[in-house]
Amino acid sequence: MKRNTMSYKVKQFLMFAGPATVLFFAVVILPFVYGLYLTFTSWDGISKTKPFVGLANYLAAFKDAAYWQALGRTFIYSAIAVILVNVVAFLLAYLVTSGIKGQNFFRAGFFVPNLIGGIVLGYVWKFVFNRALVSVGQALSIGALSTSWLATTNGAMLCLIIVSVWQYAGYMMLIYVAGFMSVPKSLMEAAQIDGCTKSQATWNVTVPLMRASFVQCLFLTITRCFMVYDVNLSLTKGEPFNSSVMAAMHVYNQAFTYKNYGTGQAEALILFVVCAIVGVTQVYIGKKGEVEA
Amino acid sequence: MKKAVSFAMAVAMTASLTTVGAVPVLADDVSITIFNSKTEIQSQMEEKAAEYAEEKGIDVEVYYSNDTVAAHMATRYASEDPYTLSMVDAKDVYSLGKEHALDLSDQEWVNDTDYEISVDGTVYGFPVCVEARGLMYNADAIEAITGETFNPDDYKTLDAFKELIAKLIEGGMETPVGIMKEDWSLGAHFLSEVYEEQEDVEGFITSLHEGSADLINNEKFNSLMDTFDVLMENNYAKDSPIAAEREVSEQKLAEGEIAFMFGGNWDWSVINAYDYTENMGLMPVPQNTEDGTNEKLVGGGSKYFFIDNSDNTSEEQQQAAKDFLNWLVYDEAGQSFIATDCALVPAFSNNAIEVSDPLGKSVKKYADEGALIPNYDYAPDDHYSICGASFQKYLAGQIDRAGFATEIEDYWKATTPVEH
Repeated sequence: MKRNTMSYKVKQFLMFAGPATVLFFAVVILPFVYGLYLTFTSWDGISKTKPFVGLANYLAAFKDAAYWQALGRTFIYSAIAVILVNVVAFLLAYLVTSGIKGQNFFRAGFFVPNLIGGIVLGYVWKFVFNRALVSVGQALSIGALSTSWLATTNGAMLCLIIVSVWQYAGYMMLIYVAGFMSVPKSLMEAAQIDGCTKSQATWNVTVPLMRASFVQCLFLTITRCFMVYDVNLSLTKGEPFNSSVMAAMHVYNQAFTYKNYGTGQAEALILFVVCAIVGVTQVYIGKKGEVEA
Repeated sequence: MKKAVSFAMAVAMTASLTTVGAVPVLADDVSITIFNSKTEIQSQMEEKAAEYAEEKGIDVEVYYSNDTVAAHMATRYASEDPYTLSMVDAKDVYSLGKEHALDLSDQEWVNDTDYEISVDGTVYGFPVCVEARGLMYNADAIEAITGETFNPDDYKTLDAFKELIAKLIEGGMETPVGIMKEDWSLGAHFLSEVYEEQEDVEGFITSLHEGSADLINNEKFNSLMDTFDVLMENNYAKDSPIAAEREVSEQKLAEGEIAFMFGGNWDWSVINAYDYTENMGLMPVPQNTEDGTNEKLVGGGSKYFFIDNSDNTSEEQQQAAKDFLNWLVYDEAGQSFIATDCALVPAFSNNAIEVSDPLGKSVKKYADEGALIPNYDYAPDDHYSICGASFQKYLAGQIDRAGFATEIEDYWKATTPVEH
């Protein structure tokens, strides 16, 4: 059989990638294009007619102060959460690859939070912040703990960040663990023979070789933090005074609760563009400096 | 041998498939779907629908969703698979009735209720029940301290109410009040009373939108906020009002740890999960006013059925849905389903069954006396969320009354009122 004919290639492609391509088109590309179309209409989500309104939705989105506040809030939240998640994940990974006793048990343990769904996790932590910590604070009369953090503007953001770190650190740890393991022991030994201390060797040999892990982890955490919704919903629900509404939640409210479908869709698109720019830039910069042993 | 066995198996399996497939055909040819947006009565609905289906020889399926009603309706209409009968909120009937709902003006039940919804003179919405707002009280808790029978009519004015609060505090109940911090409770329920208790509601809303309303000097606004201040002052969660969880507050009320909380008869579905007393009720929000609003609850019809009018629903289905609505109103089983099984306050005057929960009893009493101030159902969809957030700031002490009034005014100036 000839292997370089067009029909053979097409057949091959359809056989292996066909089902996935069809699915991808059906559940990602088509809705995306349809959504793009909806941003030019003033549809309320249920009416039979979809009046064409041109760029009015984008104008409304640009004028929607609450949306930009939510987006700004998402930036701050993401910046802090991304750094903390990765620092914690890296330290955990370092710990569980350093040969401590029961490290496999710890690896599994740190990963478990990631297996709990965001909604459940939000409710569990809500209990911790609203009741458990408050009881402890009152019993020991610790001022900072005796009222719920979730009731204050900054406190609610802090809670969101804490929960996100707790949730994602374990997952990112696994990627860093893989990174640590992929660096050959011989390089480490060579560095130590040349006079490096263990920490110097880690910093100057292992870490640069793990660059791919960093790029991957940063990409995953950035996109996830930007799109955060489930934890936001179950932990704070935007409260107090809508001061912890993240961009995704605002988009949902705008479209479905306030019934401004077109505006919500336009805001979703802006969020997508922002997220894509940040994500792609980060991967581009990260990839550029990748080194190989 | 193997072949014979597999052949036998195949025959058996095919046979079983045919039997299963045949069941619906035998039972009936009309099948209707019902959307229930009152989650607390879902199990009752399912049970009753099964009974009803068997009795009438049709197929009834009940669905519910945790999504907001409008979002869920949007999904079903987008997939051209609408429910035959949908239970929605009043504002949804106004927004989608004309386009999607069947004209029910000729139905007999229209004459037996004051709560049906019509748009431009055509009836589209069938009221499921009556719900009203006011101050919930736990009479047992009050009587245990005062030693007298609690009669809510004695506490119409804020002055009398304050005295009672003082007495309760003296008697050992340090914080007799709970406040729900939820934006829908503050924004859609309490704040809305400021609009609903105006003499000219429509005129007041128009003046808010046009920016000519002077909220901070509005008598009604101040009267209700004065009462709210007293509630705030005696809130058990005064130190951190925004952290108060609804379930906890309702439990405290049910068990008599606190005596008052602003709410409505829907709160019964939460209260009845705890060790409650039957000696509870709803009373008008006390106010120092002479306009009579402190003798009435605020409320009316709540949750509305409409029948789909599209080609996706056949005439037989529409008729079956109409029959079901009539059954709810005129059949004894239907009446007791609403009042007893679901513990709802019936919206139809011919339904004389006594309501089973104490808060509902209060609502029924005020409704029968004609002492219900109608709901304002035309607030824009984001009203409860944005104004609720402002109200939360006030509750948390972040803004004062003037600041709160300004935020509400700013909201109305920027929004477009719902046409009706």
